[in-house]
Amino acid sequence: MQREVGTLPLAPALRARLAAAGFQTAQELLDTGPCGLSKEIGISREEALEALQVVRQECHGDTARAAGGSGATRKCTALELLEEEQTQGFIITFCSALDNILGGGVQLTKITEICGAPGVGKTQLCMQLAVDVQIPECFGGVAGEAVFIDTEGSFMVDRVVDIAAACVQHCHLIAEAQPEEDHGKALETFSVENILSHIYCFRCRDYTELLAQVYLLPEFLAEHSKVRLVVIDGIAFPFRHDFEDLALRTRLLNGLAQQLIITANEHRAAVVLTNQMTTRIGQSQSTLVPALGESWGHAATVRLIFHWDNTQRLATLYKSPSQKESTIAYEITVQFHHCWLHVLMETRCHSIFCRF
Amino acid sequence: MAAKKLRRAQLSQEMCERLSRYQITTCQDFLCLSLLELMKVTGQSYHEVQKLLCKVSRACAPKMQTAYEMKLRKSVNPSSAFLSTTLHSLDRVLHGGVPCGSLTEITSPPGCGKTQFCIMLSVLATLPVSMGGLDGAVIYIDTESAFSAERLIEIAANRFPAYYDSDEKLLCMTRSIHLYRELTCCSVLKRIMSLEEDIILKKVKLVIIDSVASVVRKEFDTKLQGNLAERSNFLNRGASVLKYLAEEFTIPVILTNQITTALSSGPGLRADLVSPADDLSLSEGSSVSGKRDSGYVTAALGNTWSHSVNTRLILQYHDLPTRQPLRVSAAITKMLRVRSSDTNTAS
Repeated sequence: MQREVGTLPLAPALRARLAAAGFQTAQELLDTGPCGLSKEIGISREEALEALQVVRQECHGDTARAAGGSGATRKCTALELLEEEQTQGFIITFCSALDNILGGGVQLTKITEICGAPGVGKTQLCMQLAVDVQIPECFGGVAGEAVFIDTEGSFMVDRVVDIAAACVQHCHLIAEAQPEEDHGKALETFSVENILSHIYCFRCRDYTELLAQVYLLPEFLAEHSKVRLVVIDGIAFPFRHDFEDLALRTRLLNGLAQQLIITANEHRAAVVLTNQMTTRIGQSQSTLVPALGESWGHAATVRLIFHWDNTQRLATLYKSPSQKESTIAYEITVQFHHCWLHVLMETRCHSIFCRF
Repeated sequence: MAAKKLRRAQLSQEMCERLSRYQITTCQDFLCLSLLELMKVTGQSYHEVQKLLCKVSRACAPKMQTAYEMKLRKSVNPSSAFLSTTLHSLDRVLHGGVPCGSLTEITSPPGCGKTQFCIMLSVLATLPVSMGGLDGAVIYIDTESAFSAERLIEIAANRFPAYYDSDEKLLCMTRSIHLYRELTCCSVLKRIMSLEEDIILKKVKLVIIDSVASVVRKEFDTKLQGNLAERSNFLNRGASVLKYLAEEFTIPVILTNQITTALSSGPGLRADLVSPADDLSLSEGSSVSGKRDSGYVTAALGNTWSHSVNTRLILQYHDLPTRQPLRVSAAITKMLRVRSSDTNTAS
C-alpha cells in the first residue's frame, strides 16, 4: 500500500500528472476516489476509475505475493528444487553417448544451444528431438508435443517421416522384449501420423516474423498445454544480414533470450536453438566460433558444439551447469543419430558420465 | 511481412497517427522497441501495451501448419518435387533429382562443366512433364557471358532428337529461356529482387544464376578490412530472397560457385574450411591440385554462404576425360561418388 506512484504500470502521461499534483503513494490514490482524482488532475471520471482499478489490482497482487502465493517471483528451498529436478524428464536423443554427456538428455526448462558448421547435423538432431519428445511415458519419454520454428527452410518432412517410423519401430521392439500392460495402450496412439500431427511448424522468413512468433508463443502454449519442446532452427540466419545497428541486434537477441527463458520455465518446456559458426580472424590465425557474438553466449544454459575431425563427426559439451566438458563421436544413419564409442574417443574424453 | 504498415495491423487510426509522429510506421519498427519505449511512445499503460504487442505480432506472425499437413500436401503432387537430371546414378543419390523449393549449388574447378550442366538443366526444364521436365520457362542470370545459344540448340537436338525434330520446336524452346546478363553485384541483387513478378508473368519453373562467385569475388577483396562483412551481407540478402522465391513457387534454384585454393599461409581463407567435405584435396583420386601440401582446395564464398544453400554438388576431374561429381549435401549427409561421363560431349 505504500507503493510509490512512479512504479505503477500506468500510462506515462498520467504518471507525470500525478507526480506534478503531488501524489506519492498508491494508498493516497485509493483514498481520493475517482471523482476527487478526476477533479484534481483534470482527467475524465472514466479514466480516473480505470487508473484506480489498475492500482487496486497491483496492490492486491503485491499483498498476495507477500503472503507467499504464486506470482511472478517464486521462492522455494533448494530441497524443493532438487525434488523437482529429479522427477523432471529428459528428452532423449537415442544416441546414448550424447545423452550421457548431457546428463540424461535435453533438459526441460532450460535453453540448449547447438552450434556447428553447415552439414554437421544440427537440423537432423532437432528433427530427432521433435519426434523423441512424443515418446510415451511408459517408454521413458515425456509424452509431449513439439513446436518447430524454422528460419532457414531446412525442415524436411520426408526425413521426419523416416525418423518417426524408426522411433515407432524401436518402441515396438521394446514392448516385445519387455511386455508391460501400459505398452499396448500407448502404442495404439503412437503412430507416424500421430507424431506428425503434433509437430507444429512455423516458417519465419525474417527477424520481424521471428520476434512476432516468440511474442505469441505464450498464448500458443497456453492453448496447446502438452508442448514440451520449442525448437528454433537457425536463430542466427535472420540476424546476420540487413543489420547495420549491432546494438539493436544485441538488444533484440537479449530480449528474445529472456522471453524464451520465461516461456521455458512457465510451461516446463525445453528450448533448443541452433546457431551457425563464423570465422573470427585473429592476428596470427583465425578460428571458427559460434555466431552472434560474445554476449549471446550467455543466453543458453547448455551449449553443444558439433564439429569435424577428419571425417568423423564430434559433439562437444561446451557449457553446462552440471556436466563436465567432454566430447563424443556420432554418426547420422537412416534411422537416427547413432553413437559409436570409438575406442580412441574414450581415451580423449575427460570422463564418460556413466548412467544407465 | 516486416514492412507491413501498422494501419493494416488493425491498430486504431489515432494510434497509427501518434506512432507515425515518432517515425514508427511499420510492424518492424514497432516490434523492435522495448516495452518501456512502447509505453512512452503510445502513452498507454503496461497491460494495454502488451495487448497492442499481441495484436501487431498476430499481424505479421507466420501461419502454423503441422508436419502432417505438410506431408499431405507433398504427397498430393509428387512429380513436382524434383527436376530429374537424367543422369541415373546422380538422380538416385539425390532421391529423384534437383529438389524443388530449395537452393542447390554446383561448384567445381574451372572447365569442369558447370555451365554445360546448367544449359542441360535449362533444356530439361522446358520439356513437358511426361518426359520428366517441368514444362515451364527458365530464367538464366549470366554473369560471365558464358551462355551460348548455339550450344543450347546443339544439346537439345542431340539429347532429344525425337522430340526436337523440327526447327519450330527448337525455336519455341529457346523462346522460353530468358537470359539476363548482369555484370555487377548490385545489378545481380536488383535482378533477384525483381524476379518475383517475372516468375509469375512468364510462368518460370527454374532459376539459374551462373555464377555467383565470379561477380562477388571480382568486387569484394576479402583481404581489405570491412569487405568480408559487406560480402556476407550481400550474400545473405541474396540467399534469403532466393529461398523465399524457391519456397513460394516450389521451383528449383541453381547457383554455381567456384573452387578456390586456400594457401595454408593465409589466415582468412583457411577458415573457409568448415568441414572435411569442403576440403576436396582429401578425396581420393583427386588431381585438382598437383601439390597436395601447398594448400586446401575448397568451395569459394566462405562458410556463411555454405550455411545458406541447402544442397551442394561438387564436380571434379577424376582423371581425364571423365568427370566425376561428388555429392555433398547439407540436408541429407552422405558423401557418395557418382561417376558420369560428360553427356554433352558428342561421344
